Amino acid sequence: MGTIVNGLEIEQLQQLVAQVQADPEAARSLNRWTARVRWLGGFKGRAYIRNHSFVIDEPADLAGKDEAPNAVEYVLGALGACLTVGFVLNATKRGIPIRNLELALEGEIDNILTFLGLSNEGHPGYREIVVRAYVDADADEETLRAIWAETVATSPVGNTLARSVTLQPELSRVAAS
Amino acid sequence: MARDGLPLFPVTVVGSWPRPPWLLEALRKRHAGQISYQEFQQIADRAVLEALQAQIEAGVEIVSDGEQRRDNFYSFVVDKLEGVRMMSVAEMYDYAEDKSFFEQILRQLDVPAYAIKTPVAVDRIRLKMPLALDELEFLRRHTDRPVKIPLPGPYLLTRTMWVQGLSDRVYPTREDLAQDVVAILREEILRLRDAGADFIQLDEPVLTEVVFQPPVHSRTFMCASLSAAAEDPQMELAWAAQLINRVVLGVEGVRIGVHICRGNWTTREEALLTGDYRPLLGTLEAMRVQQWVLEFATPRAGDLEVFQACRQKRELGLGVVNPRTAEVESPEFIIARVKGALQYFEPSQIFLNPDCGFGTFAERPVATPEVAFRKLQAIRAAAEQLRREFGE
Repeated sequence: MGTIVNGLEIEQLQQLVAQVQADPEAARSLNRWTARVRWLGGFKGRAYIRNHSFVIDEPADLAGKDEAPNAVEYVLGALGACLTVGFVLNATKRGIPIRNLELALEGEIDNILTFLGLSNEGHPGYREIVVRAYVDADADEETLRAIWAETVATSPVGNTLARSVTLQPELSRVAAS
Repeated sequence: MARDGLPLFPVTVVGSWPRPPWLLEALRKRHAGQISYQEFQQIADRAVLEALQAQIEAGVEIVSDGEQRRDNFYSFVVDKLEGVRMMSVAEMYDYAEDKSFFEQILRQLDVPAYAIKTPVAVDRIRLKMPLALDELEFLRRHTDRPVKIPLPGPYLLTRTMWVQGLSDRVYPTREDLAQDVVAILREEILRLRDAGADFIQLDEPVLTEVVFQPPVHSRTFMCASLSAAAEDPQMELAWAAQLINRVVLGVEGVRIGVHICRGNWTTREEALLTGDYRPLLGTLEAMRVQQWVLEFATPRAGDLEVFQACRQKRELGLGVVNPRTAEVESPEFIIARVKGALQYFEPSQIFLNPDCGFGTFAERPVATPEVAFRKLQAIRAAAEQLRREFGE
């Protein structure tokens, strides 16, 4: 086994990067991601992703049963998870061991009234998301700030949000047989 | 003279003194397992001597060891008790029934869950070594001055250490844990008295959290928020007084006080609790202790007028300087505060102290040693003037 930093084998990580560098085609499969969400009644749904699934609901004050986070909360969770992975990747590449890493996220919806059809002002999406990273690692603050900046700049979910992804909505009317 | 051979208006401290950087370094190494408990104690000996020297030079008449051996005023029991484990909020998250409540507190305090640690009873608690006897014995070897030993109070310890899902296997209820906590504290007080302690102060700061019922966004005591957040305040207060009384009942020969404050973890006064002592007076009166050690320098603590209803009932450890402000109070300010207290207490009942410690949490001191020193000097100068005026 090679050198383990942050629970990751450095050589294996470097090999992966080198492999993709030598053959960009190998990374093509990493460009496409899929999910399926089934409505379960009320405001509840279940997402199926590869061999995983999870529930999405709304809090009780939004007429849900509060059995799970809601969709916009999952967005925050997804962004936080993405930045966590990125931070660990970038720190590990530099050989920096992380003792603790925790991200606190807070999103501000521009105008929730537009979602409810009560206003035409603004939009019902996040206007701003504040992400605060708390890091406990053997590195000076400047290095950690550099890793954080690189992480944010190269985050797939972060870029998805910040660059306003193109949505291509389609609809099919299919009856259950 | 005040009582027990002390001068009028004795000058004392609430307990902690800012730790020097080399002590903090040693504390971190000990937590990381890089140095032993004994090695840390040897380094802390030097810090205690420096804290003691500073107090003596500033004119403190009842000294403490500056809590230099402790990481804070209550967590240090982890080293002294079996059955108690230091756990971070991150480790406890899965056991918390109301996780969103944790989240709101962490946000307010602007801290990660991994950075807040608290002692949790995970097995039957037993004394591994006396809680503070080592502190007293060391001080006794180095000073003839009367010594104050602060101890975490029984309500604070029980409330902090009992966590649903972690403690209830051994202690089904908080009261079950409280019985062992009371027994341990009572034995400790007797042991400290027999070894020559002059003053034992039971710290019960979270009582203010109980009465002021702050909204979640201004929770001050994370340690108190981890359990029992929804208990009825009046029942909590009655139970807290009862626990204190079970600890001190019939103990003679040592001055016992109870200290209450509104938080001392930040210099941002607006982040700490506000409210006068009115809702706590009944509880204070119910506690069979000799002295109430209370903050009064900060305006957040309200006015001394609250004692109109219970004059001269106890000694008052009057907080006359705010440990969190850089500006040093003048002797005139301190004297005015004391004269306010003299409307409700006899001169022989009043002790002078800061509102709280200068370094309650090792890594988060609220004052520099220089400012702390000058504040204590100001208290002593005020005491001298008051003694001239009131009979000595």
